Amino acid sequence: MNTVPNRRMPPKKNWFEKSTVLFVGFLFAPLVITPSFGQDRPAGAVLDVGIRLQKSVNLYAENGFTAQYTSQKLASQRLYVGLSYVTSRLGTALGSNAIRQDNLLVSAAYYFRPKGLIRPVVRANLGYFSADLGDDIFDALPNASLLASPEVGLCFCPDIPLKINASVGYNVLTGNGTTGPGTLYPVFVQTSITWNVLKKPKN
Amino acid sequence: MKTILSLLAVAVIGLACSSEPDITPAMLDGGALFDPSLYQPENYLVSRAIPNPTPEQARRPVIIACHGYTATTFEWDEFRAWAGGRTDFYLSQVLLGGHGRNYAEFKQSTWRDWQAAITEEYDRLEKAGYQNISLVGSSTSGALLLELVASGYFANRPAPRNLLLVDPIVLPSNKTLSLVKVLGPMLGYVESDQSAGEDQYYYRFRPQETLQELQRLLNVVRKALQKGVTLPRNCVLKVYKSKQDSSADPVSAVLIHRGVRTAEGGRIDVELVDSDIHVYTRLKLREVVTAKDQANQTATFTDIATRVLR
Repeated sequence: MNTVPNRRMPPKKNWFEKSTVLFVGFLFAPLVITPSFGQDRPAGAVLDVGIRLQKSVNLYAENGFTAQYTSQKLASQRLYVGLSYVTSRLGTALGSNAIRQDNLLVSAAYYFRPKGLIRPVVRANLGYFSADLGDDIFDALPNASLLASPEVGLCFCPDIPLKINASVGYNVLTGNGTTGPGTLYPVFVQTSITWNVLKKPKN
Repeated sequence: MKTILSLLAVAVIGLACSSEPDITPAMLDGGALFDPSLYQPENYLVSRAIPNPTPEQARRPVIIACHGYTATTFEWDEFRAWAGGRTDFYLSQVLLGGHGRNYAEFKQSTWRDWQAAITEEYDRLEKAGYQNISLVGSSTSGALLLELVASGYFANRPAPRNLLLVDPIVLPSNKTLSLVKVLGPMLGYVESDQSAGEDQYYYRFRPQETLQELQRLLNVVRKALQKGVTLPRNCVLKVYKSKQDSSADPVSAVLIHRGVRTAEGGRIDVELVDSDIHVYTRLKLREVVTAKDQANQTATFTDIATRVLR
């Protein structure tokens, strides 16, 4: 009965597939590396400042800035408190028709194996999401939401004030067609690259 | 150790995978019920009913009405009923590829197959000489029609006069669809929550393969809208979108509004409808239908006919 020709598209190379493989590779491959040359914990406070690159699975890339702070008083420098801002304005919406949306996050992160080169990290984010839907006719649609997301990942911490952090996060609150902004998606991956600006150079 | 872990992983995946769904002959999925347009295409397709139109017939507007994912021609039956004996336009109800047949055929179909039924009817009408064709699409057909414009399908042929999209989907309301590539193989299929009556016209079971196809289509359309889509000359587009919709997130209308321009660079029309029904133009077999729902349906049918006859 089916008279429809079976026209199939040639498989397209999917950027997300490739990036996911690379990301997962980065995330888990280091677990088998002996972490024998990680940075020593600095005695004083740590203020990591840098960029955060974030991508929601099957939606936008949102990039921005991040900072996190710890000191000996915060679980012996295992606990970090942070602030991040990511936006599609610096990602998919840059030069495109994608919706401009902003995420402001405060976070608490716990680093395991504090002397290791590769440190597992868990992070809890709370924040605020806002999307600019543009035209007045869309005023009736939800465009803002609270954000709540756990993250789990790994931090690459070499013996310099650099940290490269990669993790997978899950937005507990998302849009569902009735409540919540429609461009707030559940799963995201992020990479942050930071520098400890409080570490004094060695003489 | 490595072998044991591999076997364990395979076992876990195997256990997680669902078996085939429990399909009964009373369901469209079952291979006993089929969309009536397969038996009597001349009752649904203008190209079959009037393959050789007179010059006067060829000038009459033709509306090609296309349904959504898992649906059938049933989705636009009420428009035909509303039009009644009107002779000022023709209505062609297209059955998307892979739809209205059975679970196995649906499972094997791609979004290109779904779309092919639309272009086949359009091509037949165009070759037969019909000069005034408009396309109406609900839900997933909205995405299929947008993809046709974005991919340049109308560049070398007469363009449709109107593209009228009822609850088009670009972003799903259920965001779990974004994870279907990972979760789909474990689930096998997803069962929809619909009545026994609807089981005769809508597939109850959604194979994960088709959900992946749907996600692929939505990604293609979303990315095209991000780059910008320009309508063919003399073609207008209107979106009718429920303010609350559990299937097609209302923000889909925002993406279309931002992403599509007329040939002259103007904005398209969008009407947000005060409704919480997905494809609010189909009211038959709904559990609760209010007077407002009926008013919304009538208003949209009237607007579609008015625009097509303009």
